[in-house]
Amino acid sequence: MRGLFASRVWTAALVSGFAVLAALPFVADDYSIGVGLALLMWLALTESWCVLSKMTGYVSLGSVVFYGLGATLVVVTWQKVPLWVAVPAAGLVAAAFAALVGGPVLRVRGPYFVILTYGLAELVKYSIIAAESAAGTASRILFGAPDLATIYFAMFALALAATLLLAWVSGSRFGHGLRSLRENEEAAETLGVPVVRYKLAAFVLSAAIPGMVGGVMALRSTYFVVGQVFDPMLSVTVIAMAVLGGGDDTRGPLLGVVFLALLSELLWARAPLLYMVLLGAILVVFVLLVPDGLVGLFDRSGRRRVAASKEAS
Amino acid sequence: MSLLETLLSGQFLFAALVTGSLYALIALGLNLVYGTMRMLNVAHGDVVMLGAYGAYGAFALLGVSPIVAAPFVAALGGLVGYGLYRGVFRRLLASSTPASAGRLEANSLLLFFGLSILVQNIAALAFTPNTRSVASLSDVWHLGNVAMTGNRLVSLVVAGTTCIGVAWFLSRNIAGLAMRAVIERREAAFIVGVDVDRVQRTSFVLGFASAALAGALVSMLEQFSPFSGFPFTIAGFIVIILGGLGNVKAGLLAALLLGAIETYGVALTSANLRSVLLYGSFVGALLLFPNGLFARRAARR
Amino acid sequence: MSAPLLSVRGLGKRFGGLVALADVSFDVAEGETVGVMGANGAGKTTLFSLIAGNERPTTGRIEVDGRSTAGLSPDRVCRLGVGRTFQIVKPFPALTVRENLRTAAMFGRAAMPNAAVADRSTQPVLDALGLADAADQPAGTLTLSGQKRLEIARAVATGARVVLLDEVMAGLTPTEVAQMLETLRRLRASHGLTLLVIEHVMRALMDLCARIVVLHHGECIAIGTPDEIGADPRVLSAYLGSSA
Repeated sequence: MRGLFASRVWTAALVSGFAVLAALPFVADDYSIGVGLALLMWLALTESWCVLSKMTGYVSLGSVVFYGLGATLVVVTWQKVPLWVAVPAAGLVAAAFAALVGGPVLRVRGPYFVILTYGLAELVKYSIIAAESAAGTASRILFGAPDLATIYFAMFALALAATLLLAWVSGSRFGHGLRSLRENEEAAETLGVPVVRYKLAAFVLSAAIPGMVGGVMALRSTYFVVGQVFDPMLSVTVIAMAVLGGGDDTRGPLLGVVFLALLSELLWARAPLLYMVLLGAILVVFVLLVPDGLVGLFDRSGRRRVAASKEAS
Repeated sequence: MSLLETLLSGQFLFAALVTGSLYALIALGLNLVYGTMRMLNVAHGDVVMLGAYGAYGAFALLGVSPIVAAPFVAALGGLVGYGLYRGVFRRLLASSTPASAGRLEANSLLLFFGLSILVQNIAALAFTPNTRSVASLSDVWHLGNVAMTGNRLVSLVVAGTTCIGVAWFLSRNIAGLAMRAVIERREAAFIVGVDVDRVQRTSFVLGFASAALAGALVSMLEQFSPFSGFPFTIAGFIVIILGGLGNVKAGLLAALLLGAIETYGVALTSANLRSVLLYGSFVGALLLFPNGLFARRAARR
Repeated sequence: MSAPLLSVRGLGKRFGGLVALADVSFDVAEGETVGVMGANGAGKTTLFSLIAGNERPTTGRIEVDGRSTAGLSPDRVCRLGVGRTFQIVKPFPALTVRENLRTAAMFGRAAMPNAAVADRSTQPVLDALGLADAADQPAGTLTLSGQKRLEIARAVATGARVVLLDEVMAGLTPTEVAQMLETLRRLRASHGLTLLVIEHVMRALMDLCARIVVLHHGECIAIGTPDEIGADPRVLSAYLGSSA
C-alpha cells in the first residue's frame, strides 16, 4: 500500500490526469488554460507541503514564505538575469532559507510549530515590505513576460516534479523514517532514526518547488506587489486541500486540489468572501469529523469491503 | 529626537502603557481560555474584533460611547463564551483520553484557524471589509508635557484596573486559586475537590468577556476591520509565551514589555517596522522557548 | 578477561537543583544480564536515558564496546548497539506492528537496506514475542500488554547487542511474568543479548540476573549477585528502614 503510487488504479488515474493537462493548451481557450494552470500550481504546492507536514507531522502554516521568496527573487532579477536561470534560482533561494531557519524552527513542536511558521512568514513579508519601501521599489511593473503556454508548461513540469517527489519520499526508507518520527519522535530517535537531519531534509525539500512555483507565477501578472505574494491565505488553502484530501501519499493532494480548485474557480471571481467562508468551514468540518480526509474514507470503505468478503468466504 | 530623549519621553511612555495594557488584557483572556482548553485559541483576536464591532454598533445605532457600551459588550462576550463552553467544549474536554487529547491538540490549531477564517469572513460579509473606528473622547488632556487623548487615557485605566483586579483575584481569592489550580493541573485540582466544571466555565466566560472588553477599547483607539483580529492574537501569544502560562503577573510585565518594544521600536526606526517588530518578537519568543509554555516546567516529570 | 560491552564510570546527572544520579559506576560484560533495582525516584530510568543518549550526563563517562557515547545523539548510540524500551510505552500508533519493527531493523545497528529485507529479518522477533498474529494491525490498537511486548521487539529488532529493559514486567500477572521470563531467556539465547534490566518484580530480577546494581537516591549503594544483595545490610536498611 505504501508502494510508489499506492495502487495500479491510482497510477492510471494520475497518468491520465497528467495527459489531459498536458494536452490542454493545444485544445482549450485561455480561460480553461488558466484553470488548468491554477490546478497545476496548487498540486505542486500541496504535494510539496505534504513532503514535510504529512510525513513528519510538523504542520506548516508558512508555505507562502517559500512561494513569496521565489517570486521576489524572479521579480528583483527581472531582465537582469535570464528566466531559465532565475526560476531555478528562486527554488534555491527558498531551499537555502529553509536550510538556514530549519534548525531552530524545527525544534519547536506541535501547535507552536504551526503558529511559528505563520509568524515567520509574516515576519519575512513585513521585512521585505519595509525594505522595498525604504528602497522605493514597493511596486514594480514587469515588461516582457513570457506567454501563457510557456508559463503553463513550466508549471506542468513543477507539478510533475512535486508528484514524483512526494511519491518517492512516501515509498522510500527516508519516508519510513519520517513517518516514524511523526508517530513518536523520541522513540524513533532511540531506534536509530536521525530525526534532526531527516526533519531538516524534509523541510528543505518541501521548500524548493514552492519557490519555483512562486517564481513562475510572478510572471503571470505584469504588476508586482510584495504584500500579495506573501498572502497567508495561500498557506491556508494548501492546508485545506491537504486536510480535505487526507492520507500521506500522492492520493490526498490530488483529491483535495481538484475538489477545492474547482470550487474556488466557481466562487473566487464572484464571491471571494463566500469562498473563504467555505474554506474555513471545510477546515473545521474535516478536522473535527473527517480527520483522515477523503483518502481515509476510501481506505475505510475498502477495508470494510475486504473484511466483508473475508466473512462471506 | 535622540535616543535618550526618545527613551525618556513621557509621551512615548504613555503610548507604551496604553498599548501594553491593552495587550495585557487580551493576554489575560487568552491565558484563561487556553488554561482551560489546553488548545491554542487562535480565534481569540477575533473575539476582540467582534467586541470592537459591538461597541461600534452601539455607537452608530444608539449614539452610545464605547465606554458606556463596554460593560455590555463585555457581558455579551461572556455570554458567548458561556454558550460555547456548554455547547461545544465541555463535551470535548470531558471525553478526551490522554491519547486522543494529544491528537486533538495537534489538530486543534487547524480547527481554530478554520473557525477564525469563518468568523472573519462572515463578519466581512455582514459588516463589509472596510475599516471603521469610533471617534469618541478625543479631547486632549495634559500632564506636564505629555498630551493624552481622553480615549487612550480611559483605555489605559480600564485595561489596567481590570488586569490588576483579576490578578489580585487569582492570587488572593479562593475561587481565583481554584482557577489557577485548574490551569496548572486539572486532574490534581479535581482530586482535591475543586469543582472543575464550574471553574472552567468561569474561566471561559471571563476570558471571552475580557477579549470583548478589549475590543470595545480598541474601537476608540484605532481603525479596525474584520481582519484586525489576528495581530491581537499574536500579541496575546507573545505575552503568554514570555510570561508563562497561568502566570498573570508575569504576563502583565511581558505585555508592558511588548508595548514598549513596539512603541519605542517604531519611534526609533519607522512606522513600517511595527509589524516587523511584532512578528519578530513572536518568532524570537517561540525560538527562545521551543517548548512554548512548558519550558519552565521541564524539570518536573 | 575481555573488555566489558557496557561501561559506566562516575556517571552523574543534575536537573537544575535536583540530583538524579551521582557517581554511578559499573561494568556489564558481553552476554551478562545485570539488574538495576531501587525505589521510585532512585534514578533508574535516568540511568537508562543517559546510556541510550536521550539525556546528556552532567558528569561521568559511558562506553559501549570501548567507544565513548559522549555527545552522541540517541540514534547514533542505537547504531553503536544499544536498544532500549520505555517505561511508558511509545509505539508508532498509526503504523502496523510490522512497520514498527521495520523502523528498528532499517535504522538500528542491523541497518537493513529496504522494507522487504527488514520485514523478513523481524519475523522471528515477532514470533518470539507473540506478535505474529497482530503483525498487520496498527500498533495503536494493541492492548497494553501487546504494546509492552512491541517495545521489547523493537529494541531487539534494532540488532542491538545490549538491550535496556525498563520494567517490562510491570502490571503482569504471575503467569504472565513466568511467560515473559521464558521469552526473555529464549531471546537472550537466540540473539546473544546482553541485558540491563530495571525491575520491581523481585522474582524476575533474581531469576534473570547474574548481578544486580542497587540505586538509592541516585547513588549506587551495592553491586553483587542476588544472594549477596539480599544479605547486604545497606540494601536492607534502604528498603526496610532499619537493620533487620
